[in-house]
Amino acid sequence: MRKFGIFLALALVLITLTSGCAKGTTVTNDFIDGESGGDAETLNWILAADATSFSYAGHTVDSLATYDNQLNIQLRCLAKDIEVSPDGLVYTVTIRDDLKWSDGSPVTAEDYVYTLKNLMFSDWLNYPYKSYWQEEVDGKTVLVAPQVVNDTTFTITRQTVYPEFVYRIYDLIPYPKYIAVKYEGNVEAFTQAPEFNNLTYTGNLGPYRFKEWSRNDRFVVERNPDYYLGKDVGAPYFQQYIVKLFSTSATRQAALEAGDITSTSIEPAEVNRFKSMPNIKVFTIPTTGYTLLAYNQRANGWEGLKDKTVRQALSMAINKQTISQAILLGFAEPAYSFIPATSPWYTDEGLAKYGVAPLYDKQKAAELLYQEGYGIKDSNGTIKVTDKKGTPLHLILAVNTGSKPAEDMAFSIRKDLLQLGIETEIKLVPWATLLRQYMMNTVPDSKQEPGDNNGPEAVSQESWDFILLGFSTDLLAPSGSSVFFTTKGGLNFFGYSNPQVDELFNRIKSKEALDKTARQQIYAEMSRVLSEEQPIDFLIFHRANVGFQKNVMGIEPGISMGYNYYMWYFEPVK
Amino acid sequence: MGKSWLRDYIVKRLIYSIIIAWGILTITFILVRVGPSSPADKYLANITARGGDPAQVTAAIEARYGLDKPIYVQYFNYLGNLFRGNWGWSFGTSMPVIELIKAHWIYSFQLILLSSLFAAILGMLIGIYSAVKQYTKTDYALTFLSFIGISIPNFWLGIMLILVFSVKFGLFKTYYDTTLPLFSLDNLKALVLPVITLGTGMLAGYVRYTRSAMLDNLRKAFVTTARAKGLPERTVIGKHVFRNALLPLVTIIMFDLGSIVFGGAYLTEIIFGIPGLGQISFNAIFANDYPVVIAVTLIGTFMVLLVNLATDISYTYLDPRIRYG
Amino acid sequence: MVETLRDAVRKIGRRLSNSTRLIDYYWQRTRRNKLAVFGLAFIIFLIALAAIGPFFTADPTAVNFEEKEIPPIGFTTQQSTYNIESDKFTTNEIHGTWKHPLGTDSKGRDMLAMIVSGARVSLLVGLIATGIAIILGTIIGVLSAYLGGWVDNALMRFTDVMMTFPFFLLLVLIVFIFGPSLAFIVLAIGLTGWTGTARLIRSESLSLRTREFIVAAKALGASDNRVIFRHLIPNVVSLIIIIATLSIPGVILAEAALSFIGLGDPSVPSWGIILESGQHTLDTAWWVAVEPGIMLFLTVLAFNFLGDGLRDAFDPKSNV
Repeated sequence: MRKFGIFLALALVLITLTSGCAKGTTVTNDFIDGESGGDAETLNWILAADATSFSYAGHTVDSLATYDNQLNIQLRCLAKDIEVSPDGLVYTVTIRDDLKWSDGSPVTAEDYVYTLKNLMFSDWLNYPYKSYWQEEVDGKTVLVAPQVVNDTTFTITRQTVYPEFVYRIYDLIPYPKYIAVKYEGNVEAFTQAPEFNNLTYTGNLGPYRFKEWSRNDRFVVERNPDYYLGKDVGAPYFQQYIVKLFSTSATRQAALEAGDITSTSIEPAEVNRFKSMPNIKVFTIPTTGYTLLAYNQRANGWEGLKDKTVRQALSMAINKQTISQAILLGFAEPAYSFIPATSPWYTDEGLAKYGVAPLYDKQKAAELLYQEGYGIKDSNGTIKVTDKKGTPLHLILAVNTGSKPAEDMAFSIRKDLLQLGIETEIKLVPWATLLRQYMMNTVPDSKQEPGDNNGPEAVSQESWDFILLGFSTDLLAPSGSSVFFTTKGGLNFFGYSNPQVDELFNRIKSKEALDKTARQQIYAEMSRVLSEEQPIDFLIFHRANVGFQKNVMGIEPGISMGYNYYMWYFEPVK
Repeated sequence: MGKSWLRDYIVKRLIYSIIIAWGILTITFILVRVGPSSPADKYLANITARGGDPAQVTAAIEARYGLDKPIYVQYFNYLGNLFRGNWGWSFGTSMPVIELIKAHWIYSFQLILLSSLFAAILGMLIGIYSAVKQYTKTDYALTFLSFIGISIPNFWLGIMLILVFSVKFGLFKTYYDTTLPLFSLDNLKALVLPVITLGTGMLAGYVRYTRSAMLDNLRKAFVTTARAKGLPERTVIGKHVFRNALLPLVTIIMFDLGSIVFGGAYLTEIIFGIPGLGQISFNAIFANDYPVVIAVTLIGTFMVLLVNLATDISYTYLDPRIRYG
Repeated sequence: MVETLRDAVRKIGRRLSNSTRLIDYYWQRTRRNKLAVFGLAFIIFLIALAAIGPFFTADPTAVNFEEKEIPPIGFTTQQSTYNIESDKFTTNEIHGTWKHPLGTDSKGRDMLAMIVSGARVSLLVGLIATGIAIILGTIIGVLSAYLGGWVDNALMRFTDVMMTFPFFLLLVLIVFIFGPSLAFIVLAIGLTGWTGTARLIRSESLSLRTREFIVAAKALGASDNRVIFRHLIPNVVSLIIIIATLSIPGVILAEAALSFIGLGDPSVPSWGIILESGQHTLDTAWWVAVEPGIMLFLTVLAFNFLGDGLRDAFDPKSNV
């Protein structure tokens, strides 16, 4: 639910501009959302890994549940909330009985189980997110076990306890078994299947039905009067929902200003101008996305980074206020933990807040480094940071091209480090290069395939010391970040290892965490430990700005703004 | 008097064109497939953020599109399919390549056609005028302007036009609206800035070329004869001088038409957001979507070759002295 | 081979310096074309700018986010910063200052400094890439014309294929595959731009081949090498100069276009890279896109003027 919900939410946020229709009255006009981040890859969403593909398909099929801005569960295809057995191993899912495919046949538990077992878990399809449904049992990786109970009920049985697994289930969307069996086993035929590429099967599962997709141009879905959730109130209230693609942010914002589109996201520098326009309203909402600076603790990084005090000192020298104020123009807040402030699992208490006064202090940072042996003091007492032999440091910061704020942050960090006497070379590389040559690693002289974490001995192809990266944490299930911070974590490319942290993440995935208070305490401890350990420098959490035409009604701004987008309408013209 | 040699010549040229096209196809194929990047690259950002395994996903995606087979196998499969009319599946956009091209070629075509017409007609008129009024102030001014036209980087011109006319003055939309019916006035209006962007460079070239071709012919003997015969100046210029200058000019126009798909049109489409073949092939390159890259390259190549052939053939009719061996 | 090359260069140099009358003659003809003179003057100015400019300007890599997006002197813009707690904006008016006469970009780098260092990059790219293309084209053209036969056929067919290949697409492909580093970009442009030169040099060489002095040289027993280097090449030098002058703007624009679509080398501040970053901030910092564009335009214009003037000067039929 999380992942999908967020995509849906963010996509909806962008979309929000549709025409206004009073509730229950005639349906008019189209909602046009402006985007400039690139087109989707496919509507055959089970094959996709890009967010845009999910968001397109998501207009035509609902997941099991989503959540609102207060993080209350909002049921969609679920008839009632998922039941978890007392031992935390069996999840019972009951779906609604009024869901139908386009040919009139009912959507059953069989479809869900088939999608899981025969499609997502299969070898021939190679579902990109199979890892979400795997668990470690006795050192082996196995898949969870779904099973049909009756037409509207199925269970998923685990062998290990993972309290937050339920959020993965919320995101589940089925494929129609009666169509998928025709392509089973043949990945090329499945990829090209016209039913899946044209979303012809979606029935009453979503507020809209697929109409047209003109590549790199527009994606159009039309109102679905049979929508199970909306048909009693006449929702949705837009005739069509259109995603229009633009080549730059400037052109799509100009289109909003001109009234050609209903909604689009607004760049920080333009927010004030758009807020003062009479026919536009702009909402500033928190997000779960944050930017971080990873410290390379593997063998091919600066040895100093293995030392906790050194990392703390560096974080003390990097100015988070500059980043949030000068670069992001105030649309960001300094981050001290991987858990966003809007999450119910966030605690402020005891966090070590590096990068902001009083823990932003270049003098003190230099002192700390000097104490660890990484500096020389001149006659005035000024410390210049060097390596243990006294030679000036020359470090490497890698960041991917294509994101201006990321580039700007890299330069700002470089400037901060320069004031300590550390020369940092910025390597701007395409994302694929960053991943392949800087993040992925292998044990030297072994023949293994490069992976994001091949153990503590592994090193990447290119040497690096810092990598600037964007990441995000699931609001309701922050434990997903274990891939980052645990010794064996699949995404732990920077080589951090701390048994205390490993233990905390283990406890999150155990019976103990079934109790919410216990879970809260474990997360609080996690945040404290990580903020003190500084395996990475948590820089800032981003805020998003979305602009709408003033006549769009029904929007509830917040972290999950799009959860009720099917109820939005244009204000009726008086 | 039949031109039997013409038929042989055409056949020879066609065979020759196919060989060239095959050569280009092979080079393109090798370039796109041999590179270190893979269609899985665009997935990598999202996969990593969700804790997926990049190596496994890359392997899976390559298997899905048949990219894990050895290169020569892929190559022959591709050629084989091509002969049977199957241009392949575009994995960047999830649709058959033919459908993709069918949906988008019209945007490139209308842009190129209008720009060429604009440039050719205006260019010729200005060139003729300039030649006739040689050494006057107008001539110098027009020459100077044509230099400017050739020298302006066309992508910068596009941005400047958007900045001035769309953003500051709001006369035109900042993006191209594909919902407008093709033969409507609105569509024409939407194409004004792109056509100016694309056409300016060509225009300047035609002006200069027409001018110099006209000047060359104006000095020739037949002009003096015509004038001596007492023909009105307009007939002299229009009927005699211009007709002689026309031949090489037509060559150039046709050549530009054929080769413009890549280069100017490419950038113009990207700047103005026109979803034509240029934009499609550009996105395909970045997505390692080789069926689309090859398809669009072949189309461009065929156009050039066909146009060259057509021009050469038309020469034989326009100038009876020409004969090809 | 090396000896003959060295000899040839020395000979050309001596001949050029000895025949001041010849140089004078061509110079007189060029000089009459005012536009060509302006072009030459601008190019000299540009070279000077590239060579010594960096010593007088600020450091183009010095970022300063406190001074971002300052307009050029004489202009005023507004910038707003948002305060999350109070949900209010603080808006400041930013005026152009003499400290940054051409303004600053979104990272606070001085535009004047970047334009000046960009000049160096663009000129180097222009010269080197053109050099590669011309050398390659000349060698192929001369060999083709001189050796004739199947060599000529093969080379010309190969040239045909390369010519029919959409130039820009090929460039994008190569740079995309091998990575956007400046070295590759220069190499790629050079390796794809030789076809026109090859054709022209070949036809010129063909016509020269039948001239008397070549026939005489061969009759006297000169080796092929000698004929090529001491007789053919010096005579196409003027053609090469014209081709070079007219190719350089195309090369500079090709590099700028590549940067514009995102395939430029981000670590080197060429005009194309600056223009590309300016494209995204068109509404808030228009000068970042306008200034490099003007420089590109003027540079291309200058080379076109000069090239055109040289062509007229060297063409015996035109009465300059």
